[in-house]
Amino acid sequence: MQEFKSIRDLPEQDYFTGGSSACAGCGPSMGLKLALKVLGPETIIINASGCMTLLPLYPNTPLKASWIHNAIENASSTAAGARHGLDMLGNRDMNVVCYAGDGATYDIGIASLSGAAAKNERIIYICYNNQSFGNTGFQWSTATPYGSETKTTPRGKDNPIGTTVVNKNMLKIMGAHRVYAATASLAYPVDFLNKLNRAKERDGFSYIELLGACTAGWNYDPRLTVRISKLAVRCGMWPLYEIENGVLTLNKDFSELKPIDEFLKLQGRYRALPQDGVDRLQSLISEHWTELKEYNGLRYV
Amino acid sequence: MKQTLVTGNEAAAWGARLVQPNYIPTFPITPQTECIETLARWISDGELPGTYFDRMESEHSVMSAAVGAAAVGARVFTATSSQGLLLMHEVLYIAAGMRLPIVMATISRGLSAPVTLWSDHNDFLDQRDSGWLMFHAENNQEVLDLVLQAYRIAEDSRVLLPVMVNMDGYVLSFTDEPITIPSPEMVKEFLPKYTPKHTIAKDRPVTVGPPVLDEYTIFRAQNHVAARNALEVMEEVMDDFDRIFGRRYHLVDEFMLDDAELVLVTQGSMSTTAKAAIMEMRDEEGIKVGLLRLRVIRPWPAKAIAEALKNAKAVAVIDRNLAPGRGGIMFPEIVETLYNLDRRPLVSSFVVGLGGNPQTEHKVKEITRKLMDDLETGRPRVEWNDVDVNDMDVNDMEGL
Repeated sequence: MQEFKSIRDLPEQDYFTGGSSACAGCGPSMGLKLALKVLGPETIIINASGCMTLLPLYPNTPLKASWIHNAIENASSTAAGARHGLDMLGNRDMNVVCYAGDGATYDIGIASLSGAAAKNERIIYICYNNQSFGNTGFQWSTATPYGSETKTTPRGKDNPIGTTVVNKNMLKIMGAHRVYAATASLAYPVDFLNKLNRAKERDGFSYIELLGACTAGWNYDPRLTVRISKLAVRCGMWPLYEIENGVLTLNKDFSELKPIDEFLKLQGRYRALPQDGVDRLQSLISEHWTELKEYNGLRYV
Repeated sequence: MKQTLVTGNEAAAWGARLVQPNYIPTFPITPQTECIETLARWISDGELPGTYFDRMESEHSVMSAAVGAAAVGARVFTATSSQGLLLMHEVLYIAAGMRLPIVMATISRGLSAPVTLWSDHNDFLDQRDSGWLMFHAENNQEVLDLVLQAYRIAEDSRVLLPVMVNMDGYVLSFTDEPITIPSPEMVKEFLPKYTPKHTIAKDRPVTVGPPVLDEYTIFRAQNHVAARNALEVMEEVMDDFDRIFGRRYHLVDEFMLDDAELVLVTQGSMSTTAKAAIMEMRDEEGIKVGLLRLRVIRPWPAKAIAEALKNAKAVAVIDRNLAPGRGGIMFPEIVETLYNLDRRPLVSSFVVGLGGNPQTEHKVKEITRKLMDDLETGRPRVEWNDVDVNDMDVNDMEGL
């Protein structure tokens, strides 16, 4: 298997070209552009309804790979059908890759995702997590972190925190399916594409969750996408780790996390989060980081 | 070719076995279960080497997987019932919009709430605007034959649309009937190898299901025109079916219509009971009554229906379904079909047989007598035949 050492090793060829209708600085678009460098044109992307659904707009597409958009909750089951259809027709080499948002993954599509993962279908599932239902204008999902304001969890007199529900631990859920599960970041493309290469080699289901910084929803300057993605990792909001056969490996370890405030202060969605909210978010992050450190190299699920 | 006793569920499974689909995604629901269990057993026994049998997490996933497989050029079969068919509803429109020739057996069962396991046609007819082509079988031989025909029609490049083949739950699904199972050689002659037209290929990236702007109307119109084309294709396919298998089908099933003054319009298995009642009424009472069974629901074979009913004096549309606040679903469709005829019959509506309420010969005779009265008074009626809905207490939960 090809192992990239530095960003200079990454393939130059792009299969995500001009003509995209995504926002400037769109994290999920950057993620797909990177992913296709490794996946190549003999790939069917199974898209769940969301921001990325608008990449192709008839009769144009920025993509040089195949694409099926079915609905929002069924990327995994559509992919299972495509996989078996291809296999039965003797076309085993094509990649079948889901590219779905967090709402389509954590919430409305979790039954379909769980089914495909439990059956260990030969599919790569990439969740681009923008921590909201983004395409509809930034509403709460179960991936939205504590303290984030969204359009359906607005801060107000009776609710100064915004999102009060703690987000699902999706990696643990997917790890418990005994599949390959990993997080990835736009700020660490070498790590992301090495994980994707591993997923490609596997004879079974892989789940990669990419933090998809969202300039419109998170409300930040579009030029900061990579910086914010990096801060998410450095502050422990988005630790890079993987779970295989139930064993956890922390991919980027730090002796000390940066305070979450550095991540929060660049984004409008956390503006006006009261200090007790920041403190609670910080303790949730520290708790998760401690757990990951404790289980690093050990059976986690 | 062999003669054997099979249930409706097994007849559908035999249809699937003979066409050798590449992919069968499944999820169990009463009364469809026996169909997929039969296929699962054959798969385990190695009878279908070219087929992958998949077990999904819901009917929604079943239809989604069917779409995924059909989009890459696989031949797909599945089956469902009732709540399962409704859970698929969203994806049914998508399958039709993508013009994917999926074939599905539907085994009708009334819808919740309250729960019933027995048959009426609301689940099936709920899909009538989905873009699928829709067949409704009367007996188990027809179930098998229509599954075979469905693939020929669905895969025809003038059509390229998914097809449902419906049978009544329990009455057909779990009842053994003697049927002829055609030989694989005959099926091979009838149904050519499937060559997909617009599919994704390794060296040819394709985008399926993207958003469109002004072109939306054009794509919808194509779905409509393709469905209309299916009428002609169905007639060709039925001719060819007759040539190879020696069984004759038409867009509509006409029974004793030549001299019929009264005509009962029916769907599904109750037609067999009605035909028996009609023969008795003719023999014993000399009543000139006949029957028109709706075999093809979509596309709507308006010409064939109008032609079959043009000499009738009175027509009873017997709906085994209900649109609450409206009445029987097929009644307005028949009325509309006859409206512009030079001389149109009186049309009465009867809602019957919900949740499997048995439609006996006695009940069919009752409807026929009411229709005779209507013809005499010149006033059509809109009526329930199983229950009196006048002065009904809609909150009475006791004393039923």
